[in-house]
This record gives sequence, structure tokens and C-alpha cells, in this order.
Amino acid sequence: MESLFLLIPIAAIFVVIAVIIFIWAVKGDQFDDLNREGERILFEDDDTDKKA
Amino acid sequence: MSNLCYHCGDPIPAGLDIASELQNQRREFCCFGCQAIAEHICGADLSLYYERRDNSKGARINEDNSPVFALLSDKALYDQYVHQGEDGHVIQVSLTGITCSACAWLIEKHLSQQQGVLSVHVNLSSAIATITWNPAETNVQELAKQLLYIGYVAQPYLPGEQDTLQRQEKKRAIIRLGIAGVGMMQVMMSAIAMYAGDLQGMDDIYRQLLRWISFIFATPVVIYAGLPFYRGALRDLKNRHFTMDLPVSIGVLLAYASSVLALYMESGHVYFDSVTMFIFFLLLGRFLEAVARSYHVADRHQAPLTAVKVVKDQTESTIPLQQLQTGDVAIIEPGQTFPVDGILLSDFTSVDESSLTGEYTPVTKQQGANIHAQTVNVDQQVQLQVTEVGQNTKAAAISRITERALGEKPRVAIIADKVAHYFVIAILITASLTYGFWSWMGEPEAYWIMVSVLVVTCPCALSLATPVALTTVTNALKGAGFLITRGHVIEALAKTQHIVFDKTGTLTYGSFSITQIELLENALSSEQALTLISGLEQHSKHPIAKTFQQFAPASVSHLQNLASQGVTGIIHGDTYYFGNQTLMESLGLRVPASTVSGKAQLELYLATASQLLAKVTLCDILRPEARTVIESLRQQGIRVSLLTGDTLESAHSILEPEWFDDFKTSCLPDQKWQWLQAQDSKDILMVGDGLNDVPALAGATTSLAMGASSDLAKLHSDAILLSEHLSTIPTALKAAKRCRQIIQQNLIWAAGYNATLLPLAIAGWIPPWVAAIGMALSSLIVVVNATRLNKL
Repeated sequence: MESLFLLIPIAAIFVVIAVIIFIWAVKGDQFDDLNREGERILFEDDDTDKKA
Repeated sequence: MSNLCYHCGDPIPAGLDIASELQNQRREFCCFGCQAIAEHICGADLSLYYERRDNSKGARINEDNSPVFALLSDKALYDQYVHQGEDGHVIQVSLTGITCSACAWLIEKHLSQQQGVLSVHVNLSSAIATITWNPAETNVQELAKQLLYIGYVAQPYLPGEQDTLQRQEKKRAIIRLGIAGVGMMQVMMSAIAMYAGDLQGMDDIYRQLLRWISFIFATPVVIYAGLPFYRGALRDLKNRHFTMDLPVSIGVLLAYASSVLALYMESGHVYFDSVTMFIFFLLLGRFLEAVARSYHVADRHQAPLTAVKVVKDQTESTIPLQQLQTGDVAIIEPGQTFPVDGILLSDFTSVDESSLTGEYTPVTKQQGANIHAQTVNVDQQVQLQVTEVGQNTKAAAISRITERALGEKPRVAIIADKVAHYFVIAILITASLTYGFWSWMGEPEAYWIMVSVLVVTCPCALSLATPVALTTVTNALKGAGFLITRGHVIEALAKTQHIVFDKTGTLTYGSFSITQIELLENALSSEQALTLISGLEQHSKHPIAKTFQQFAPASVSHLQNLASQGVTGIIHGDTYYFGNQTLMESLGLRVPASTVSGKAQLELYLATASQLLAKVTLCDILRPEARTVIESLRQQGIRVSLLTGDTLESAHSILEPEWFDDFKTSCLPDQKWQWLQAQDSKDILMVGDGLNDVPALAGATTSLAMGASSDLAKLHSDAILLSEHLSTIPTALKAAKRCRQIIQQNLIWAAGYNATLLPLAIAGWIPPWVAAIGMALSSLIVVVNATRLNKL
């Protein structure tokens, strides 16, 4: 059971990392448009390159 | 074979044949514009758009955006609207015609295929696109043209200070919600482990570890995510009017403080789980309300760049609207909205003033007449001497009246806030008396008894009682097409005693419909007559022309607008006329005596130069459900009034005064508001749609705008009738009443629970863990009770 003293803090660190990523995403305007982003994946269909 | 246009979804006029072979299938269109757009989209390999869009309504081009982008060749304006960074030039444009994710995808995909475009991002909620391009390879005019090819009209947009503030505020709210959610989950995991430990036994050292973990995760939630509640509480203290924010803050902070103390002293109970869950659910409710509000209303604080043509020293030039000054002469095309107040210099034109007066039949204006901003030029290109711009126009004046009306809006006291006021005072007095009493008795556990009292009286259930019920019913109503954008609406709707309707666009459709076709020449069928009329009207901007768009136009040459009279053109070598009595009389034709009275019904004639062919009667028609809805509302004892800008005559022709308790006609926008203010009962629901209703909408206790309303009307209303179906109103009233009942039940239960346990807690008989479980259970019951509102 002593392993809990190591495992729980490690899990906690991961949560902190997740929150930091979340805040970074919000600040990077990724949550600006709540109506759109959920459906974006439906449209990323191909890798059409730019007509250079 | 479908009869709807493949691109825009409008019905295809009967007999019209415009089709293309797209995606190996024959696709039909309602006009060449739509065909061109669809061919362009499919040609660019973007036909996925048609498969993925939510509704089958593509954007149709109504105007050309090239003049406004041509303005950007001016260096000063270019610098203002285009950010010139090292990675390319960036512009923001506001888009019209964008409705779903497929539109956004189409725009992004199409533009990024263009040469020189570095990145495109379309924000669907605000309908603003941000485009970055390499100035060496392309230019902004080319980009605007590309947008037009796929059917979207763009205007350069510069976000103002308020837009930026609002965005930052929204970002903070999302971060708070995220932190509260993640924190709550971690604390709950520890809490479950601890509860399991209570049952099975657990070493103190592990319990203390879990407590520390809960403390670590609860702290940011309490300190950062709960900040809006503490701010509200401070404001309450300053105003000496207590809302739910105060007991919430006190409950949160005390439970947190006592938990920290328990952690430090390694005795007593920790409440980190309850505290975080509580904050998360309250934040969620507030966030959902804010999202609903911003969803259907484009709340822009800055006007996008608009071009206007002016004549100076006999040369025409295009300038930005912002530079237009009093005394300038502006040129306005038919179909264009007058951007400023002015005096008509051309001989005559007709003007659609429906945005100001609600009267949708265009008014004829002679030379020298006053023209108001926000009205629409119908007949022909005119010149206008500018008299007032910007804030001095009549339309801006209406906005100012609106601001005042909003300021004086009767406040609806939210039951929970009323309860909160006394509740807080009672809790604080009881808790301190309990602590004082037990300390005086020399009880060492005095502090923990006081904590029990505070936890037992924690207003969790009480403060969740109202928001959960409101959130549930708001969502259910949204499904029914009734979008609520402000928090107090449900309570106000439940109390509504008096409903005031606008006429045009609210009780009626606000457009012309054909009520009768009378053939005056036997050789002609009504289909033929309609085909001829549709041909004559096909390029007219007059509201009447729209009525005939559903019929296939005959091919016409030499089309001519006869201002205020009608149209004429040559079909198969014969000259035809379509217009009013004046036009027929000028042709020397005798018109049979009119059978209808009042100007709400229009009688128009189709004729050749020597003979009348047909008479068409047009009228704005009542929504079919209007009468039943009004009757059922009156049966429920609700007073129903009509308040319209139309004349008595015009209102009378389609509505019976007996249907209403009050029948007020010829009201100016501010008269509508004043009439509302003069009413004894303050529980008024105002239903309207136009700019002329805006002050009344803002001033009424509750206001409902029709889904097709002007943006300003939607912005200032408390709810929007997206379904455009009047029968949703009684449904909403019923749902609001049921919601109020549920809220009352919830409040009675929550208060009853608090009141029963309070004496026991004061007596010191309730250990803190029982208090904590009771708190969670009482909240759960409140939430479950509220879900009953899901069924309307």
C-alpha cells in the first residue's frame, strides 16, 4: 500500500499537466467557437495540397 | 426530382429549367446565381459541403461586396483594417449567409486553395473570418471575389475594445469551469476512497494522504473558480441587498476554512468534495445561460466597413460610410438601405419604411422629402443630401430610447434572492449564537458544532433549487423553438398577466401574399398571367416582386420600373404593364370599381396597352394559428393587446378589434414604450419583431422577438421565438408555470430539510459527516425533481 504515496502524487502531476494544456488551449483561441469545433473532425477529409 | 433549389433550398419557380450535371446527377436551381455558386463549389472539389451541411439552405448573393473592398486600396484604410505582419497580411471580415459548420468548412477550404492564402479561420459563432495572405501573391480584393464566388458577402471588420473585453471574459469563464470540473473529479475520487475507508476501515496515514490530495485540488477551485461568487457577495454587501451570491460565498469559504483546519489538526471532517461539486454546478449553470445568450444574437459593438457612393463636383466616387458628412450628396441604389438621414434630391422613389414604422407597403417620396436611415430604397437609383449621420439619425435615436427603456425596466425579483436576503441573516445569527452558547458552557467541541450548523444550513440545495429547474426548462423550451436569453424570463413568464403583440411580422407574416386572381380576359389562364407578371417583376426590388418569385418568369426585354406605379416590359413582341390603378388610368384603361376597402390590400392589374388582362389582390396575411392562440390566451385570463405602427384602417382589414382587449394603432416607437409604462400591471410580455418595437421590447418586463427579427430587436429581447410559430407562446407560459411550481417544491424541500436538521445540529447531535451526506442527498433530490421539467 505504500506505493500510494508515489502513485497518487504522480497522478496528481498528470492532472496538473492536463489543466495547463487546457489553459493553453483556451488562451490559444481553441475554445472561441463552441458551435464549430465539435464538428470540425467531420470535415477534415483529405490532404488536398495548396494549388501552388 | 425535387422542386427545391439544390443550392439555396428555395422552391424552384414552376416551369423554370436551370440545371447542371453535378456529382453525376442532375441538379436543379432556382436561379443562375445559385447555379454558378454550386458549379463553382463542385468544380473546386468541395461538394462535401452539400453532404455535410445541417440544412439545405445555401447562401444566396443579394449584393456585391466589391465596392467596399475597393475602398481598401486607400492606404490609410488599408492600414486600419489590415494587420501587416511579417508572416503576411491579416484581415477580419464579417460574413453574411453563414449558417452551419459546413459553411465555415467551405469558406476555409475554398480560400486556402487560392494562391497566396496562408491561413483562414472562420468563427461560426461570431460569423467572422480571419484571413492571412501573402501580399506578394494575392490581394484582399481577389479574396473578396473568391468569397462571392461561393455565395458569401463579406465586409471588413475591426473588433472594438468591448469585443476584446467580452472575449477575454468568456475565456476566463471557460478556464474557471474547466478548473472546477477537473478539480471536482479529483476530489470526488479521493472522497469515494475515504467513504469506502470509513466503512471498511483505513489507516489514518492513508486517510491523511487522501485529505491532502483533496486539499490540493480543492484549493484552486475555491480560490480561482469561485471568484465570481465572492465578487457578487462583495457587491451585495456594498449595496446592502443580499442575493444568493452571499450565502454561497459564506458557505463555500467557511466549509473550506473548517476543512483546512480539520486537515491541520488531523481531526474533524473535511468537506472538500461538497465544496468543489457545488462550485462546479453553479458555474455550469451560469455558463450555459451566457452561451445561450450569445448564440443567436450577433452582439457586435462595431459596425463593419461599409461603402457609400457620393457625388462631389459632379464626379462620382466611393467613400467609407464613416467619412460621409452632413451636406454630402450620396447615391443610393435600389434595394440598398439608406445609411443616413437626408433629403431626397431625385424626383421621386418609394421607400420601404417597415424597419421604423412596421408598415411594409413602400411609401412614395417626392423630391425634398425627408428620408430616414435604416429604411430601404425600392424603386430606382436616387441622390440624397445628407442631413444627419451616425448618432444623430432617427434610427440611432431609437437606440437611445432603447437604452433608457432598458435602464427603467421593471426588475423581476428572483424568489431565491428574496429568500436569500433573510436566510443569510438568520444563518449567521444562529451560528454565532450556537458557538457562543457552547463556548460559554465550556464545551471543547464548540467550534465543530458551529461547523455542523453551517454545513446543515449550507444553502446548496436551496441555491441549486432555482438554477437547475431553470436550466432544465430552458433547454426543453429551446427544443420547442423558444430560446431564452436572460435568466429572469421563466419567473416573469409564469407571472405574465398581459401580452402585447405587434402586428406586422408578428401576428402576420410581414410580406405580401396573393389572395385572389381575377381574370379579365378569357383567353388567359391564371398560370399564364402569373408567368407574365413574374417576368415583369423579376428584377424589381419592390417587396411585391418577392411574391411572384415562386413562379417561372417569362423572358422579358426592355424592362422598366415606373416608380410608384408599376413595371413594364416587352414579352414576345407585346408590351405588357403590371401596376396599380394610377398606371392603368394613365394608359387610358378603365378599372372596375374596387371591391375591397383599405390600403392593406393591394389591387394590381396586368394589362397590355389597350386591354386589362387580370387583377391580382395582394395582402399581408395573418399567421394561421394567430386567432386560436389569442383566444386560448384570453381564456386563460390573460389580457391581450395589439400595439402597431400601422394605421387603424390597415390593421382593421385583417384583424378584428374584438379579438383584443386593447387595440392601439398608429403608434410611434417611443409611444409603444410609453403605453407599456402607463399600464397598471407590470407583468407584461411584449412580442415584436422590428426596429420600431425595440424600445417597447427593451422596456417590457419580458420581451419576445420573432426569429426573423432585426438584430437589434433580438439583442434587446429576453427570448427569441425561433420556431416562428405563435402557438409556442402558450406552451412556454405553461412550462414557465410548471417550472415555478417545481422551484417552489424544491425551495420548500430544501428549506424544510435545513429547518429540521438545524435544531439537531444546534443541540450538537449531528456529527459533521452526517451533515455532509445530508447536504449531498438534499442537493440530489432537488436535481432529480427538476429533471421532471424535461417534458413540456
